[in-house]
Amino acid sequence: MYFSDNILSIENLSIGYGSADNISKMVFSDIILQAKKGENIAIIGRNGIGKSTLLRTIGRLQKPLKGNILVKGKDISHYTKQEFARLVSFVSTEIIRISNFRLFDLVALGRFPYTGWIGKLGKDDYNIVNESIYQVGIDDLKYKLINEVSDGERQRAMIARALAQDTEIIILDEPTAFLDLPSKYEIIRLLNELTVNKGKTIVFSSHDLSITLQEADKIWLMETNKIAEGAPEDLILNKDIYNLFDNSRMTFNIESGDFRLARNKPGKISITGKGIVKYWTRRALERIGYEISDEVKEDLSVQVDDNKKSPEWIIMRKGNKIKCNSIYKLTLHLRGIN
Amino acid sequence: MDTRFNKKILLILISLSALLILVFIVDLFLGSVKIPFKEILKILVSGESENQIWLTIIYDFRLPKAITAVLAGAALSVSGLQMQTIFRNPLAGPYVLGISSGASLGVAILVLGYTSHFTNQAVHYFGNWAQVISAWIGAGLVLFLILAVSMRVQDIMTILILGILFGSATSAIVSIFQYFSHQSMLKAFVIWSMGSLGNLSKSQLNILMPCIIAGLILSLLFSKILNVLLLGETYARSLGVNIKFSRIMLFISTSILAGSITAFCGPIGFIGIAVPHIVRIITKSVNHYYLIPGSILSGAIVLLISDIIALLPGSDSTLPVNSVTALLGIPIVIWIIIKNKKIASLG
Repeated sequence: MYFSDNILSIENLSIGYGSADNISKMVFSDIILQAKKGENIAIIGRNGIGKSTLLRTIGRLQKPLKGNILVKGKDISHYTKQEFARLVSFVSTEIIRISNFRLFDLVALGRFPYTGWIGKLGKDDYNIVNESIYQVGIDDLKYKLINEVSDGERQRAMIARALAQDTEIIILDEPTAFLDLPSKYEIIRLLNELTVNKGKTIVFSSHDLSITLQEADKIWLMETNKIAEGAPEDLILNKDIYNLFDNSRMTFNIESGDFRLARNKPGKISITGKGIVKYWTRRALERIGYEISDEVKEDLSVQVDDNKKSPEWIIMRKGNKIKCNSIYKLTLHLRGIN
Repeated sequence: MDTRFNKKILLILISLSALLILVFIVDLFLGSVKIPFKEILKILVSGESENQIWLTIIYDFRLPKAITAVLAGAALSVSGLQMQTIFRNPLAGPYVLGISSGASLGVAILVLGYTSHFTNQAVHYFGNWAQVISAWIGAGLVLFLILAVSMRVQDIMTILILGILFGSATSAIVSIFQYFSHQSMLKAFVIWSMGSLGNLSKSQLNILMPCIIAGLILSLLFSKILNVLLLGETYARSLGVNIKFSRIMLFISTSILAGSITAFCGPIGFIGIAVPHIVRIITKSVNHYYLIPGSILSGAIVLLISDIIALLPGSDSTLPVNSVTALLGIPIVIWIIIKNKKIASLG
């Protein structure tokens, strides 16, 4: 069923390799998903679950085994190659390393579906290429060579290329892989801006859970045999997000939205103190595996004293007191390393 | 793609054209018979000379050879460029990937196997076209095999090694043919396989020229697609390129270019792999609208220079042109390998 506001609609889709009559490898089946115009959608799931296969199938880079994908109400196989290239663009994980390749030229290749057989850029094409470069914030780098810029800048150029392709839907396969943390945030923030300012519909896959849970409008959470769909907050509240960590030692902290690797629990501990110092002390104690208790009566407690010039921590263990002048020393004492 | 760089590249292409004309005339000037420079220009412009021998030397020997060098240099360079882009591999080229060997095999089967049932006259009658077409088929077959492998194996080095193995395998088959073939046929084949620019008759040149021009035009028509193929198959597909069709057309173009030259001039190595890199360095561009004309001009220049070196100016003896191109090309290939030792990139 097609609702006029669903730009992308996936109906009973089975993805994998082989053909409809001769399925050599089914990766995922019976997928039903919708995307509305202007949404920033993140696909998350464990390695090998089929995120890339799903994205490639939506991008018509491989054929679906069964079912339909509708873009603007029409099955994608009914579009011509050129029509589809003007509707959906794709940014892959592949790192382009070509000498003598300027960022401008890379972005300009996005105009391929619009230019004549000579590929010469018209005035409008130039404007769109320059505008795309400006939007992703690499205006000052556009005449740099592609192997002279950082990973984050190159990824921006790849996104600018997709923008120059001027499609309503942009699909990105792990756009934040290989990037450092600030760049990861910047790229996802850029995707958000494109949905808000340009009305683009964006579908991307990611392993950066904290960032996607903070920034995406909607999550398609691929589990072993179903896909949970919803706002990140919905998936947290209905505990779907926990299914990501079945059979793994990862735990999800529902209050902070953090992920932690579960450690052997050394026991309970209580903290007295206040403010920001207490918060970070608590994080440190959680990191080394303590369960934080609200009762002050525990055998083991830490007293945070930040009245002085530099804060102090006092470990109280059955009447014994040990003073520490840093969180590092505190953790060393608690772990029994001296 | 950006006008800022267009003027500079246009200037480079004009300079290359001037250089091509210069080395072309120098190539005509050199040879065992000394012909005054002025006389050569006069023969070229008016087509007449008081000395009938000079006219014959220029028109029947030196001019066909120089034109063959231009065609061969252009064809091998463009086929190398196309393969480097299609395989996204800086070390691809008709010789390295065994395409030239494939063409040799085609010719070997024709000369040593098939035509041994015919008289010499029969071979002469349909020989030229048969030779070209069997070289095309041989080259196309090896290209197809390499493509089939490269779809399964992504690693560039593996593909190169397989290309070398295909080349060795075809050489082995050629050896078997040689072993069992008739003496006179064997001699004809060995002379062919030593490679030469000067063995072409005018009638052969009449076949070679349109083939090469057709191959080059086909290549130019696909410049836009070659540019996108730089990004790889995924991006090309997502930009709406018909990958299968483009690949087949580019392989036809490569087979025609490399196959035709191999059919008439024998295997000439290292032009196809080295010249595209020279062009990338001097134009600082990846745009095939510049790289293809640049490769045509530079390839012709390099092969003419190789021929000039092979003539050993000042002496009466000549070198095989294959050896000269190898000695010129191998340092460039070594440089590419050292430069790209970490990542395989184009240029």
